[in-house]
Amino acid sequence: MAFDIDKYTKNSTGVQWADLDFDAFERDPLPESTLRTLRYMCDIEYHTVCYLRDLLTTPSHDEPAVGAFMTMWNREEFWHGEALAAVLERHGVRVDFDELKATRLKLGWKDRLGTVKQTVTSRLVGHDFVAVHMAWGAANEWSATAAYQRLAALERHPVLAPLLRRIAQQETKHVAFYASQARERLAASRKARIVARLALEKAWGPVGSGVMPESEVTHVMKHLFAGADGRKLVRDIDAHIAKLPGMEGLRIVETSMDRRGIPAGDTV
Amino acid sequence: MYPQDGPASFDIREFARTAQGSHRSAIDLARLVEEPLDSDSARLLRALRDGERATLHRMRDLLVTATHKDARVTAFLTTWMFERYWIADALDTVLDASPAARHLPATVGPARRVRAERRERRGPIRRSVVAGITGTRIVAEHMTTGLVDEWIGQAAYRRLAGASPAMESIVDPLIEVKKRHIRFLAEEAERLLTHSAGAQRVTRRALRRTAWPLGAVDRSHHERAFFERQVFGDGDGRAQARRIRDRIAALPGIGAGVAATVESRLLPEPHGGKSGAD
Repeated sequence: MAFDIDKYTKNSTGVQWADLDFDAFERDPLPESTLRTLRYMCDIEYHTVCYLRDLLTTPSHDEPAVGAFMTMWNREEFWHGEALAAVLERHGVRVDFDELKATRLKLGWKDRLGTVKQTVTSRLVGHDFVAVHMAWGAANEWSATAAYQRLAALERHPVLAPLLRRIAQQETKHVAFYASQARERLAASRKARIVARLALEKAWGPVGSGVMPESEVTHVMKHLFAGADGRKLVRDIDAHIAKLPGMEGLRIVETSMDRRGIPAGDTV
Repeated sequence: MYPQDGPASFDIREFARTAQGSHRSAIDLARLVEEPLDSDSARLLRALRDGERATLHRMRDLLVTATHKDARVTAFLTTWMFERYWIADALDTVLDASPAARHLPATVGPARRVRAERRERRGPIRRSVVAGITGTRIVAEHMTTGLVDEWIGQAAYRRLAGASPAMESIVDPLIEVKKRHIRFLAEEAERLLTHSAGAQRVTRRALRRTAWPLGAVDRSHHERAFFERQVFGDGDGRAQARRIRDRIAALPGIGAGVAATVESRLLPEPHGGKSGAD
């Protein structure tokens, strides 16, 4: 499945919400647990630029199609942050850039070493490392799509649900890009398959883990993925990942849920 | 003028909301057939396109430092990168439609080796490590070098607009897009330099050692010499360089000496020199 980059860049736009009646949030406000999850999602979207930075330290952006995608993707994710910030603002939660800055400053030295380490690693395996990033990105985007769709279904709010579906719609395009890139690159290189499998198995965590406090990660995972329905979605994400060349049998999302004690709700 | 230490006035969210995407529908290609680009203008256009295309490299160099932690700056960069993508696309469209572009000298060639520019040849690892020592003061450096680069770009785009009325109608909207970039960078540079001797010191050093325009260090010597000649080579060009010098000198804590160094490095050498000075 080829990804049409020209079509994607031409149609790339910030998610729209001006036509949605945000006054509905005053009449029908969202519960605390949903706001907490939205706040997490909002921060993560704004932090996309930090992931972009990790991608840019590999040779991936030298390819025009990849560079074009990253430019649009980074901006679309920023707009997801803006949209969610607008919802939060209607509930008296203000997300400002100074506060986001404080979160990034707290990452401190560990984060700085991250770039160094990653560049060294990516030098070691050269272009194959691009495949690792693409597989990683695909796993993240599948998770994000599932998370937005799940929250829309759980919350059934007349304004929140359509907004989340619009965001999820854009995320599916990101999935298409990352997955098609990953498929092609993994299929072409055994070394890439080995490194990608190792990286996903050993280092992958739910989107936002490592950046957000662990208590928030657990809240969001429990909110969205606890119970039989949630677990089914988790297994679906794993099934998508496992279909990538060389990733057969991986269960990284389910493992990360079990590790955090998120109940599966399987009937015995 | 600019706020000193207080809240910033540039509205990032408004900037993001009103970002300028594709220019293609506004480009009158038929007019370009009537008024075709001359070869020097096509070459300048190509150099500018290459500069816009190198935006992701710029992003990398900015983001491996503490600059990535400033959410206001990264919000700006996100839209800035998007607008530059479409500016490059517009220039590509013109280049594709210009017969003169088919016979330009190759861009590849020996690099210019200048001792002062050594720091610019650093890869992301060394940049990250060095910037780790410099800390958040590097944001001031990045905003200021970015600002000076935009001023140089503005002079170059104006030169390009002068090629023909057809080019003027294509380039003027691009200059407008870039004016907002200049406004943000100027405000941030002013804000971050004021009251911080450390930021001023780091920025002065960077200004003295940068190859202009940003990214030039990766270009061949002959392309850099062409750019200097084409943009700053005649009387009007020298006046533009002087204007840039005066603006640099007016930044908090930068001083006339550093500004004069930048000006001297913008101008072409009378005998096409500047090569092999390492």
